[in-house]
Amino acid sequence: MTASTGEFRREAAVAVADAHLQAALETATGRFRTAREIVLAELPDADRLRDHLKAVRAATIANLAGYLEQFEQNATAAGAHVHWARDAAEASAIVTRLARERGVTLAAKSKSMATEEIHLNDALLAAGVTPVETDLGEWILQLAGEPPYHIIAPAIHKTRDQVAALFVQETGAPLPDDNIPTLTATARRELRQRFLDAGMGISGGNIAVAETGSIVLVTNEGNGRMVTSLPPVHVAVIGIEKVAPTWNDAAAWLALLARSATGQPLSIYTTVITGPARAGDPDGPEEVHVILLDNGRSRLLDTVYEEVLQCIRCGACLNICPVYREAGGHAYASPYSGPIGAVITPLLFGVENYPALPHASTLCGACQDVCPVRIDLPRMLLELRAEEVRHGLASTTESLLEKGAAFVLAHERLLRLGRGALALGQKPLVRNGQIRLPAALNPARERDLPSFAPRSFHQLWEELQDE
Amino acid sequence: MSEARQEILRGLRQGKGGGPHAGSWQSPRTFPDLVSRFVEALEASHGETFVEDDAGAAVSRLERVLVELGARRIVCQDEPPLDSLDLPERLPAFEWHVVGQTTGSLRAICAEADVGVSSAQAALSETGTVVVDSGPGRSRLVTLLPPVHVVLLPADRLVADLFALVEQQEQPLPANVTLISGPSKTADIEQTLAIGVHGPRRLVVIVYS
Repeated sequence: MTASTGEFRREAAVAVADAHLQAALETATGRFRTAREIVLAELPDADRLRDHLKAVRAATIANLAGYLEQFEQNATAAGAHVHWARDAAEASAIVTRLARERGVTLAAKSKSMATEEIHLNDALLAAGVTPVETDLGEWILQLAGEPPYHIIAPAIHKTRDQVAALFVQETGAPLPDDNIPTLTATARRELRQRFLDAGMGISGGNIAVAETGSIVLVTNEGNGRMVTSLPPVHVAVIGIEKVAPTWNDAAAWLALLARSATGQPLSIYTTVITGPARAGDPDGPEEVHVILLDNGRSRLLDTVYEEVLQCIRCGACLNICPVYREAGGHAYASPYSGPIGAVITPLLFGVENYPALPHASTLCGACQDVCPVRIDLPRMLLELRAEEVRHGLASTTESLLEKGAAFVLAHERLLRLGRGALALGQKPLVRNGQIRLPAALNPARERDLPSFAPRSFHQLWEELQDE
Repeated sequence: MSEARQEILRGLRQGKGGGPHAGSWQSPRTFPDLVSRFVEALEASHGETFVEDDAGAAVSRLERVLVELGARRIVCQDEPPLDSLDLPERLPAFEWHVVGQTTGSLRAICAEADVGVSSAQAALSETGTVVVDSGPGRSRLVTLLPPVHVVLLPADRLVADLFALVEQQEQPLPANVTLISGPSKTADIEQTLAIGVHGPRRLVVIVYS
């Protein structure tokens, strides 16, 4: 997938023109925003806790090798198998090899952006393993053949009617009506059997705790518990940056994760997995495998982008972003959308493949304000834009305009002359004091420019001096 | 894949490294009444709670809850303090399956049970959370597969918050520790709350002194 300027604009224009989608986006992100504010206000010292977590994350990222080795050592001591994957292909190959060796034909998955990132489902299908997404939103999208729209709420763009149609198609049974409890009960019934039949459970991981070699998984539905409890083999795919050195650090992370994501004090289920079932355990997986995924992360260390590795994947920046809230998730053409996606997508998958994303921002700074670890995303968006110019990725038109502007701004008389000409020339385009750009330049009709004032500040100033 | 391991670690070590660990967070959370905060927090996330004076009253409450549910088949952890409450003898109207003492597949029993009964190794007042460990007599599925999960929670297992829990948690950890803060829920369709997706539809916690 890629997001060229044209592709981003086309997708965004579709979203902006869709009244239902705009309403759904505003309802969903609005609920998350309000709930987040309420629960953070209830937490004493929330701001200090955010500063603390940021300090923890920064120190962890700077010493990542040591903590990963500690995690590996403790996880191995608890009986888990730790694998390392440099890229998406290596990670997928490990999972498909494990499945093949064990004769697995059905794998139950809980929601994981890391497995979206490596396109694990495609690799499993090619290896003859049927992956079933079990998060309700992810299952809906799997049936629809679509990527997630939001890292926390993947199917926010689907209506109940669309969901009902997908379920009828999948189950072959008519649904009595399209109400949401019926749809949820249908998913419970259909997926329960898949959990019981699956030969492998696949999850991501919210946190890897070095101190004990544990993987922490949060879900609201309970599917995370199902995929890690019922199948005989559990495989967790987790980015190398998601390490917490100690349990006190993990507690700080968890205290802010759900509060920032959905506005819950904690998610309904927080599952801590430390190796496979022990002797005497009445149930649980016989094998636990943890795949530590690099896929472009380690090369960000010691660059101007290192800070982005502190991200805890809460999605608060999506919910606040004026661009995400209009353009929607699919325009980003990545499992990671919104402001965090606009930064990590080009960094992980190539600036040249996603040239539109660093521009999908007004640089208003709201993302940094709501980020639990205060990542300076606006700064990195600017760094990425500069990188595009250095690599010759900016469009010829843009380069010419910028060069022209630089020349004019450096020559005062030219600037005055040009301003006067534009103040006159704009007249046919001005409506209600705004310049309405022609449709070709403004496909989503999202952009009106303020018109030039009849007289410049410079002129007004000179007049004032005269008085 | 040790080649991948070497390469990733080598890449990470080329960094300039960083300062020391940021130290531990001292949570300022305290509650004058741990029980009432627990009740308030759990009910806010659609859990149901009862507070009883002693173990006898808790068992009577459990009976009323089971009757009201119309429950027949119960699957129960074999763990303290449940093992000393003699639940199958005192509530003989129900079909009891105690972990480790049943014949047949525990998984099938849990999948068909009306109610799963457990205790909790700890509970968090701040968030209305019960903490259930895996271990001998402690099934992961008892608290997961039945449509209703009932917890008998001795009040002295309550602590203020997650930081207090990790402070007192003994290591090594059990293979599975799960923090449960309400019944299973989703808002994945039109942001509308629906209770009981994959886990239990109802979570009932009976707190007793």
